[in-house]
Amino acid sequence: MSLSHGFVRGETLSCIYHGWSYGQAGNCLRIPAHPGLTPPDAIRTVTHPVTEADGVVWVAVDEPTAAPPGLAGLVPLRSLTAFADIAAIEAAAGVKATADGLVNAGDIRLLLSSTRDGETLIHVLVSADAGPAARIAAARIAEGLRRKAEDIYKKGAAR
Amino acid sequence: MTTLLEPSVPGETYTLLRERMTIRGELDADSFLPWIRRHASKLGLFQDIVHSGPDRIEVDLAGAPELIDMMEVGCLLGPINVWVETIDRRRVSNAGG
Amino acid sequence: MIVGPMLDEWYPVGIFGQLDEAGRKTMLMGEPIVVARNGNGDARVTDSTGRSLPVRVRYGHVWTSLGDPQKELFAIPEADQPGRRFVDVGVVRVRCSPLRAVENFLDIAHFPFVHTDILGAEPHTEVQAYKVEIREDVDEVWATQVQFYQPQAAKSASGGITTQYMYRVAGPTSTVLYKTCPPKPSEWDVITLFVQPLTEDLCDVWPWMALFDDDTPMTDLIHFQQTIFLQDRSILENQVPRLLPLDPGMEMPTRADLTSVAYRRWLKRHNFTYGAQLVAQ
Repeated sequence: MSLSHGFVRGETLSCIYHGWSYGQAGNCLRIPAHPGLTPPDAIRTVTHPVTEADGVVWVAVDEPTAAPPGLAGLVPLRSLTAFADIAAIEAAAGVKATADGLVNAGDIRLLLSSTRDGETLIHVLVSADAGPAARIAAARIAEGLRRKAEDIYKKGAAR
Repeated sequence: MTTLLEPSVPGETYTLLRERMTIRGELDADSFLPWIRRHASKLGLFQDIVHSGPDRIEVDLAGAPELIDMMEVGCLLGPINVWVETIDRRRVSNAGG
Repeated sequence: MIVGPMLDEWYPVGIFGQLDEAGRKTMLMGEPIVVARNGNGDARVTDSTGRSLPVRVRYGHVWTSLGDPQKELFAIPEADQPGRRFVDVGVVRVRCSPLRAVENFLDIAHFPFVHTDILGAEPHTEVQAYKVEIREDVDEVWATQVQFYQPQAAKSASGGITTQYMYRVAGPTSTVLYKTCPPKPSEWDVITLFVQPLTEDLCDVWPWMALFDDDTPMTDLIHFQQTIFLQDRSILENQVPRLLPLDPGMEMPTRADLTSVAYRRWLKRHNFTYGAQLVAQ
């Protein structure tokens, strides 16, 4: 079970499945099924550098070599999971990601991160001055794009 | 060795156990011994393999009782080419450890 | 895909009461099958070549096998006990290994976090030591003397109680839970999880219950169990790796996981590996 599905309380991150909680250094603090145990330092999870910029949380797999790309003028709208790879999402959008990792799909911008084989997390951003109607429209565009990407991926995988 | 066992929270005390774990079954030492060492170190347990053979492995372990339980539970399954029949545990004295 | 010895075991493939002559098209371990009721009212299961497969109708469900079962379908004596209500809960499709679905059912440590305020609640998270054995005479895994504090153990429970549990693995994808019966303390409620392996990482789960509860409407009993299982599904569909590891080298099982470890040992001993992963990764 990925800790991404977990919950944060104070300065600890807990797993949603059995509630094991971890401190910021990655060390396990508590195993609820065995409350009498103080977990040794050896029980830990991997940690990654993390930073927040323009409303987006960025994680680096290793030590980052550069700051996250600037997203000035954009705001995050929603995140959704697509059962498709990045290539299929780019094909659905009709455009490749820029060097910054942004996909410019008309009125929306996408940040893509591959979660596992054939599964991608899509973060949707819109112009900061978009009103409620434009944001609803953008959410629908993103939904349509996801479906299109999943169709492309399914056809590709079937071949 | 004792540095491994110091409580992470100063002032807190553990009940530390030193136990000898005797694993019996159809054991493939080449794959099981590294597996045992890796699992014990992931649990932060002091470990000392005192005997190894095709049907019996003995390992001395020291740490919190719940962690030695975890070692036993993990070893009951072990790697796929190993079949563990039984695991016996008995306390051993700290002298000489 | 080579199924191995699991081919000769019994699997649930439908609710008997819901069969019709047209039949239900489904799958068993990658093989398309049809489950139907014939003109005499008997259940019939056929594979894609039209071959008739062995059939049993027990515990509300139709059971079949792609192979040649050497053992009769396991017994649940409570199914013949007068006074119980039998509940066909229905089916839930889960994108997970059939073995993972069973393992999750055997686990109590997740109750406070996944079934919050129903089957468990913080701070009552401790799993007390319990007993696990493989009963050689019936070749089943049994966990006994399991107990856990539950805010709402059953639809019929009013307020929190410490619930007693016994778990039983009766087949590679069939598991039976006996738990404290709030209205009748001398008896156990029986809740089962019958899992139909569609593929190695997709299954249909058929919970079934035999309860002493004359008051709760059937719809509420079904709804309660479906609520619980849908909470489990959100966990099961996100587990990594998808297949059940038979080598726990990447995990850290604790004493609370003894039932799961006994189940995996039992699978390993029988070479029941459909839906399993042999090497930790």
